[in-house]
Amino acid sequence: MRRATDASLPTFGTMSSKASESKMSSSQYSYIFKYIIVGDMGVGKSCLLHQFTEQKFTADCPHTIGVEFGTRIIEVSGKKIKLQIWDTAGQERFRAVTRSYYRGAAGALMVYDITRRSSYNHLSSWLSDTRNLTNPGTVIYLIGNKLDMESNRDVSYEEAKQFADENGLMFLEASAKTGEYVEDAFLKTAQIIYECIQDGRLDLNAADSGVQQKILQCETNPNVEKDKSCMQC
Amino acid sequence: MELSAIMKDKLNAGDNVVALHEGVLLQGWSPKAHRLLALVERNLSFGLFVFTTSRNPPQAFTDLTINFVVPIDSDFKCDIDSLSAESNSDIYINLSARNFKLFMGMDSGHETNHFFNELSRSMDLYLKNQQTLDFQWLKKYNINDIDLELGLMMNINGDNTSNNIITANMAVAENDISFPTGTQTLSSRESVIQRQMILSEEQYTNAQNFRIYIGTWNVNGQPTLSSLNDWLTCDSEPPDIYAIGFQELDLSKEAFLFNDSPREEEWLQAVTKSLNSKGNYKKVSLVRLVGMMLIVFVKNKHMDHVKNVATDTVGTGIMGKLGNKGGVAVRMDFHNTSLCFVNTHLAAHVEEYERRNQDYQNICSRMVFSNFIPPKTVKDHNQVYWFGDLNYRITEMDAISVKDLVRKNNFKNVLEADQLKQQHRAGNVFKGYKEGSINFLPTYKYDPGTNDWDSSEKNRAPAWCDRILWRGNSIKQLAYRSHPNLLISDHKPVSALFESEVRVVDLTKYRKIHEHIMKKLDKAENEYLPQVMVDNTEIIFHNVKFMEPQLKELTVANTGQVPVQFEFIKKLDDSTYCKEWLRIEPFMSFIDPGEKCDITLEVLIDKKSAYKMISGQDKLYDILVLHLDGGKDIFITVTGNYERSCFGCSLETLCYLKVPIKNIPFGKLMELENNKSNMTSDPYPVPKEVWYLVDHLYRHGLKQEHLFEHSGLRSEFVQIRNWLDNGTPDALPGSVHSVAEALLILLDSTSEPIIPYNLHATCLSAVSYYSQCKQIISQLPERSKNVFLYLCAFLQELLNHVNDNKLDVKTIASVFGEIFIRDPPRSRSDKSGHTRTSMSRKKTNFVYHFLVNDQSDLIINTSF
Ligand SMILES: Nc1nc2c(ncn2[C@@H]2O[C@H](COP(=O)(O)OP(=O)(O)OP(=O)(O)O)[C@@H](O)[C@H]2O)c(=O)[nH]1
Ligand SMILES: [Mg+2]
Repeated sequence: MRRATDASLPTFGTMSSKASESKMSSSQYSYIFKYIIVGDMGVGKSCLLHQFTEQKFTADCPHTIGVEFGTRIIEVSGKKIKLQIWDTAGQERFRAVTRSYYRGAAGALMVYDITRRSSYNHLSSWLSDTRNLTNPGTVIYLIGNKLDMESNRDVSYEEAKQFADENGLMFLEASAKTGEYVEDAFLKTAQIIYECIQDGRLDLNAADSGVQQKILQCETNPNVEKDKSCMQC
Repeated sequence: MELSAIMKDKLNAGDNVVALHEGVLLQGWSPKAHRLLALVERNLSFGLFVFTTSRNPPQAFTDLTINFVVPIDSDFKCDIDSLSAESNSDIYINLSARNFKLFMGMDSGHETNHFFNELSRSMDLYLKNQQTLDFQWLKKYNINDIDLELGLMMNINGDNTSNNIITANMAVAENDISFPTGTQTLSSRESVIQRQMILSEEQYTNAQNFRIYIGTWNVNGQPTLSSLNDWLTCDSEPPDIYAIGFQELDLSKEAFLFNDSPREEEWLQAVTKSLNSKGNYKKVSLVRLVGMMLIVFVKNKHMDHVKNVATDTVGTGIMGKLGNKGGVAVRMDFHNTSLCFVNTHLAAHVEEYERRNQDYQNICSRMVFSNFIPPKTVKDHNQVYWFGDLNYRITEMDAISVKDLVRKNNFKNVLEADQLKQQHRAGNVFKGYKEGSINFLPTYKYDPGTNDWDSSEKNRAPAWCDRILWRGNSIKQLAYRSHPNLLISDHKPVSALFESEVRVVDLTKYRKIHEHIMKKLDKAENEYLPQVMVDNTEIIFHNVKFMEPQLKELTVANTGQVPVQFEFIKKLDDSTYCKEWLRIEPFMSFIDPGEKCDITLEVLIDKKSAYKMISGQDKLYDILVLHLDGGKDIFITVTGNYERSCFGCSLETLCYLKVPIKNIPFGKLMELENNKSNMTSDPYPVPKEVWYLVDHLYRHGLKQEHLFEHSGLRSEFVQIRNWLDNGTPDALPGSVHSVAEALLILLDSTSEPIIPYNLHATCLSAVSYYSQCKQIISQLPERSKNVFLYLCAFLQELLNHVNDNKLDVKTIASVFGEIFIRDPPRSRSDKSGHTRTSMSRKKTNFVYHFLVNDQSDLIINTSF
């Protein structure tokens, strides 16, 4: 079974996690994309983030009490892009607070657990929050997580695919445990955002586009005027 | 045992220690955690071991824990860098390998050299022999990598170390998200630099002594004198700074009620004229609250070095409103040292030292210079000079002995009985402050115009009411004296001269240190991310009671490599970072790596929030967002239960309660508050709580001086509240002042005042016409009208006893005006001082009508 829905997407540039890249300075990427990850508690949001940024899986990952983030620099069509990923708490009691974090996201990863039907049933409420709190250009990717637990599956691929199609979402199934299709979700989202920028569908000047264009040479000589401001402290 | 021998025990047989050295983890730049480095060899291949030690120096191999082992191979790099040219300074070492980064500091010296010579030799050897080397032996070590300090560094890979720019959209206004990126990093970076500069202040400033003159005088409302030279120019050398405080500058009703006073200008002129003529002075600031005034002057030539001047005032009269007692303060940065001058007039009366202590505490907590972020209080200054009519007396000695002893200049024995000395020694007041030794006559009480002790029949022991204390390092008192030749008041002026050390910036050194810090920061910023641990994310407050603050602590530990700046931030749509009944201290701060910060959460349900708790508009529940600058956010949930109290209930509701509120279920109360209850029983005409309090005052307070002017004691308020809420057969506890205050608080805690908010404006425009005022009262809701008329009748009765209680109808009208005609919640802050004064006048006039006229016509339909 092929999980990624859109097989016609072109392949992406190689990623930049190799050791040789570690000396790369901040001025070497062209864009920053902000992502958020949302979904019920325990569906594996934090694990997906860790798998993507650190290539590791923590079996007993604690609940997220707040909002954590990770970053990774990737390459799309030869351009380096820094992904800045916000992983939110899924517990219901924090729902009102996590709503503050949607704004300005260029990509939203909406996660459910394929072995827990309730997490799938709540998707429409997550989707309406995402739609209401982000801008129309935000790319929403639906991820069915815990693909490695096929035997406990509670939501079929076809059913979720239909939900995604009806709501115009990208969709795939992945496993934060094995790492299967995790890269795909993050990278395809970036790819689509990048295309939107290229053909003008995403307005970079809008304050909440979730994309920042890195302007090189923004370093000023900090010694010159800061002396003054510090004198008053 | 030798360290290398202990180490050998720890290692597997056949592995040899080549070199050993200790260093400190350079977490950013604050050297804290020690780590032991060992270079170990087996068959010509080398490994670097990092150890933590549980005992220093280690006694046995069990004191050592291996945190990390790295092979010295092609991935291993070592950079040494000494940031400053001086030869004996620290060396910074940057070690890196696969998934491993270590940034350490060591002092330069023979041992360090030896270690690094061996290390580079091992790297050379690797290059020569690499084909044949085998590092399998390193894998045999048990590694305990739960090293909080090191944990993060090991997981770092290339991407995560690169510059992190985080746009926390939350709490950043739409147009604040500016391009190009980096603005946020810059601002946090700015604050880190500022703080580091403060920490290394010693290195770029020089100590310089300045003379500071402090004067204080309670002038008893007298008009000014033509010359104050005897007091202000008694030293030949002109001081660099003058801080001069007055009390009872103006005793008129105008000043008392509306804070207007022509005396301010008169005394300013007199003081300005009497400053030491050998110096040229400029006024830095003048602040006044009713009769308390403070003026600060600085020599002209120093004015360029006076910055961030701010003032605040605190009234500690009844309910903390009236400014007849309290304090005024001026703060400023002088060169690189922060100074705060506090002039206070504490509670009067011989036996009331507890109230004086309470006033002091009050001023400490409420005196806030709020134009700083975070706001500064008195204690946040390098030097504090606190003075004024502190009003402490001599109690344990009779007047005749005191007078006799002081005449013989035997002050020491009398001072043993001085309340301030006693309370200070007991740690009840002025903690951390010093006072010089007193070698002058008591400053109170004299017959005005003379140097004779007060001859009135009270015959009180003379006392040192007027005092000067200070707090801070390197302050030397040169003189402490009184000025008996100034005769107009019943107090004598007091002054003190200080030689105080102030930090003066050396610009060349400053630039050098600044650059040094920037360099270190560049390094750290690219290497590490902020990381903290919070010991509790669910804070529960049990049984919170009205007006009784409860504290809980929260500890935030910086477990990362860089200093962390944290801050509680607003949630979307909220205007503040926490509910009004919660206070977080500090709500923003810095934590160095390895350090902790205790945060105090204080819940206080007062009149602003109590009615919301009762009516269900609000509850003890909040989620706080603790934001790390450049890092993640942590949610902290605050919950608890509030014990219902009559304070905060509407008068309407209270009239329906025939039993103590403790016995009424919460649900029932909420129904009553929201008018959803269909009560069958007849209500009382006025709440029984109002009746109890008024009746108590009627029976015990009619002849009490200053009723409704003095504040009550917190502890007594709590007893009174419990009595009202629980209902007990005992008599109502507390002094009449406390009962009076409880009555005012009860009326001030309802959601709607007696004159409802929607009649506020109508009411103020009607004050000139008694008939219109009466009209308004007759239209009030039944229960509000009853309470209003009942209280007015009581107050009239009270005013029938002015000969005993010395009360003044205007003062009473002013106190009750503020209560009856409470300002709508949102309007309070945005009125100018002038409008507020004219509003107070109108409120006073409104109530005044009802205190001097007969109300029988209104009362006719109302039976109590
Ligand atoms: N088998 C399997 N377990 C997973 C997978 N992803 C996550 N888990 C487990 O599911 C549990 C919850 O994962 P988290 O990543 O903490 O879930 P979360 O969505 O971040 O939860 P909250 O932080 O409470 O919102 C953990 O115990 C993980 O080990 C997966 O792909 N396969
Ligand atoms: Mg999580």
